[in-house]
Amino acid sequence: MKFTFNWLKEFVSVTLPAEKLAERLTMAGLEVESLARLREPETNQEDWLFEIAVTPNRGDCLGISGLARELAALTVTQLNSLPVSLHAEDPAGMKRLSVVIEAPELCSRYSASVIHDLSVQPSLPLMKFRLEACGIRAINNVVDITNYVMLETGQPLHAFDLERLSANRIVVRTAQGIKTFTTLDGVERELAREDLLICDGARPIALAGVMGGADSEVTAQTRRILLESANFDPVAIRRTTRRLGLHSEASHRFERGVDPGGTVAALDRAVYLLVKIARGNPVKVVADSYPRPPKLPTIALRNEHIEGLLGIRLAGKETAKLLKSLGLEVEAENNGVIKVQPPSSRPDLTREADLIEEIARLYGYEKIPSTLPRVLCSGGKSDYRLAEERRLRTFLAGEGFVEVINLPFASERTNRRFTGVWQGAAAPVTVLNPLVQESAEMRFSLVPGLIENLNINLAQKAESFHAYHLGKVFRLASGGESEERQSLAGILFGPRQQLGLRAGEEKSPTFLHCKGIVEGILDLLHIADKLAWSAETPRILHPGRAAALLRDGSTMGYLGQIHPDLQQQLGVPPFFLFELDFEELLQYAPRRIKTRSLPRFPSVERDFAIVVDERFPSGQIVSWIESLGEALIEQVQVFDHYAGSPIPQGKKSLAYKISYRADDRTLTDTEVNTLHQDLTNRIEKLFGAQLRS
Amino acid sequence: MNESLAALRQDILERIEHCKSETEVEQLRVEVLGRKGKLTLLLRGLKDLPAEERPRVGDELNQSRRVIEERLEERLEVVRRQSKEHALREETVDITLPGTRWERGRIHPLTLVTDQIIEIFRGMGFEIARGPDIEDDYHNFEALNFPKDHPARDMQDTFFVSNDRLLRTHTSPVQIRTMESRQPPLQIIVPGAVYRHDDDATHSPMFHQVEGFMVDQQVAFSDLKGVLTHFLRQIFSDETGVRFRPSFFPFTEPSAEIDIQCVICGGSGVSAEGQNCRVCKGTGWLEILGAGMIDPEVFRFVGYDPDKVSGFAFGMGVERIAMLKYGIEDIRLFFQNDLRFLRQFG
Repeated sequence: MKFTFNWLKEFVSVTLPAEKLAERLTMAGLEVESLARLREPETNQEDWLFEIAVTPNRGDCLGISGLARELAALTVTQLNSLPVSLHAEDPAGMKRLSVVIEAPELCSRYSASVIHDLSVQPSLPLMKFRLEACGIRAINNVVDITNYVMLETGQPLHAFDLERLSANRIVVRTAQGIKTFTTLDGVERELAREDLLICDGARPIALAGVMGGADSEVTAQTRRILLESANFDPVAIRRTTRRLGLHSEASHRFERGVDPGGTVAALDRAVYLLVKIARGNPVKVVADSYPRPPKLPTIALRNEHIEGLLGIRLAGKETAKLLKSLGLEVEAENNGVIKVQPPSSRPDLTREADLIEEIARLYGYEKIPSTLPRVLCSGGKSDYRLAEERRLRTFLAGEGFVEVINLPFASERTNRRFTGVWQGAAAPVTVLNPLVQESAEMRFSLVPGLIENLNINLAQKAESFHAYHLGKVFRLASGGESEERQSLAGILFGPRQQLGLRAGEEKSPTFLHCKGIVEGILDLLHIADKLAWSAETPRILHPGRAAALLRDGSTMGYLGQIHPDLQQQLGVPPFFLFELDFEELLQYAPRRIKTRSLPRFPSVERDFAIVVDERFPSGQIVSWIESLGEALIEQVQVFDHYAGSPIPQGKKSLAYKISYRADDRTLTDTEVNTLHQDLTNRIEKLFGAQLRS
Repeated sequence: MNESLAALRQDILERIEHCKSETEVEQLRVEVLGRKGKLTLLLRGLKDLPAEERPRVGDELNQSRRVIEERLEERLEVVRRQSKEHALREETVDITLPGTRWERGRIHPLTLVTDQIIEIFRGMGFEIARGPDIEDDYHNFEALNFPKDHPARDMQDTFFVSNDRLLRTHTSPVQIRTMESRQPPLQIIVPGAVYRHDDDATHSPMFHQVEGFMVDQQVAFSDLKGVLTHFLRQIFSDETGVRFRPSFFPFTEPSAEIDIQCVICGGSGVSAEGQNCRVCKGTGWLEILGAGMIDPEVFRFVGYDPDKVSGFAFGMGVERIAMLKYGIEDIRLFFQNDLRFLRQFG
């Protein structure tokens, strides 16, 4: 809402300078978004243009007179009344113009006047200046006056060229049966059956409260007009404007609620200006159909409640004075309760809380003290997930990973390729009104976002990119419900950066680096022993350098090198990635860690190395030894893996370390040797391995 | 004491102090105490003295010998220490070379700021609650007193995923979800992603909020002022000016917007170059929080009696706070994840 300072001063005698006034309005909830100095034409007098962000509950402040009422209350100043032509009803005239409201639930009041002998001209410079400053194009004196009075009163007006109407019968009805209507901007609009229309007899002449029609518009030839000042239902107007994407100054006001008590006053003001400026001659006709005057609420306001909600104590008299200054009717206090009746211009005031807000506003938020509430000892619970996520972030930062956050949108193509932890069988959640079609779905996987980040950083010549994203992924579950899960994905491209002097050649990450990070995460959550690895991996990965993580046969994540074909399509260098169902992993993580007492006797370590087929999985031996359940074997580890001379082609060497320990004595060499010898002999036979000495 | 002995002793002790190396000390020891050493010879010559002088001279000689031996030992310690120190100094490194280390990882600035916000409120006894990003119309709007077809819905341009389901436009639906399942007293904060149909230098279609609310028997607007002023002074600085002004949100009444004094121009509205401050547009104030007393309608939706409980709620944008704290001008930087940006944090 824009207005100029000098214009406002016609309504209320403000003595504050413009900047102070702006601050005053802002602190009263009418936020001044901009303030600019202007010069009036001809007189060259200084003026100021105010732009106010009027909140949707304050339709009454979409007119200067409403703002003036607020200011009068805030600064305890008198309101001025502007010159008007008082209307007089003319029963004979009423017969010549009839108004029929067929949809009274959508049009609570319809008032109209007829003015003859108009002289349509350009407006005077001051009126033009004010309208244009407020963002309304000046057209001619008649149309300009309707806009001018709308800015003054907040009541939208519309002038129809009376000569161009086919009947002296105004019908307010819904569109049903009428399919299209051409608005005065020349666009033919398709109508819905519930759109509200103004008709002259049977033909539509305006889309009620939104825009008039092209063929009843005021032109330079117009001599007689029908001036409409009506009140339409906010919801109906809003539906029509949203459906048609057609917003106007009028619809903006009707959507926010216009005072039904003000239609005639706005007409009187407009008629005064039409007579004075456009030399019109009002026929004393006022049609005023008011089938549904609003029932004004009477609200009980409890003193005690004011104190409870605001934390300030006010005397009943003080409260009454504040409310009266806004034009509310207030009865004397009775037993700590006062009864209040707001005027029809304030439909937003219906409840006690609404009145308390008005009191707080006028009293001044800055004068309400700041207190700290009594401590509630029930609060302050620790949060398991937050704690685990923080541990994860700290771990990954230590491992050199940078955290990224990406938008959750994906294209259909991306979702088809990257199904993430949902594993292919997922239906996407689709955004019906995306910003662009490429972001019409909610992501299945965090990986595509990381690849995009890799690309951005490659363009900046980054030599390495180790990053992770902890964020939600989405899918449509059965029954149309959506499902969201916290997923964790990472990407490893290029050697981890080392700072300082170069110490030898930097190594690019391998499958084992990538697996190491995932193992680190499992270790962090103390769930490494509950999971197994499988070579059944998603298609986005290199089939030979990838692994999936299983728990009880269901996949909890995957890792490996990006598939070379996909990598080529994406136009990026090779990299490794992982993606884990973090939410699920957290489910299985033990909340309590069990400790063991420290061993009292020393362990004895023995190594052995074997030559096996190059495809032989090293872990098979570890799990076989573990499955023996031998009490004296404490731990088995692979510590070397080698292929090449002198190992024959197609073979590899694996080296294992076993640590033996008894918890009640120190083991003797002979004891361990016998055990170890037996074990390695069995391994040779069982796995066709050749023991290396 | 015999004058010549005293002089000899004095001379030896002085020479000891001048010894520069272990070798010099050893040489001196031989010279004085060796088989043909000066003092050794004098001791040997005792027998040639008259019997009555022998005990006295003997005592003097023996005492001198003890002193000299002691001093030689002490000196040996000193020169050993000195020579070791000297040798260590030869092993010098170039202390201006850069240290060797792995590049460390970073935590995203939005995570850092969210964590700070959470910690300040946890310090005041708030606990964390979460909710789904894909919400229904009821929790996102209706139960928060945004009626259908009300212009208040225009304040939050919405992404829809079906007729009734949408990407939450704020974290406030978690207020409803929490109050539906629990009874007061409640002190809750809700961090999370929210979505609006918007995309420019200051708006991202996804951004983050921290919502908070407190409900009990006697929570007043003055408490809201106290808690939020405390929060803002913790997250910005103790001197930060704070102002509360009336505003409108459908789910609070009275509603407030909270401004802090501009962190760039210090509240003067004038930049260092004497221009209107670009960040606060010359007003000296920056909008940072929306808040208010929970509307009685909202309490009715969740089945609380508004005559028995009261409470306040507030919400803030994490990106906005991060932008002001770190002087970031374009919100899109948070989501491009350029290492040159991310490496400046954490």
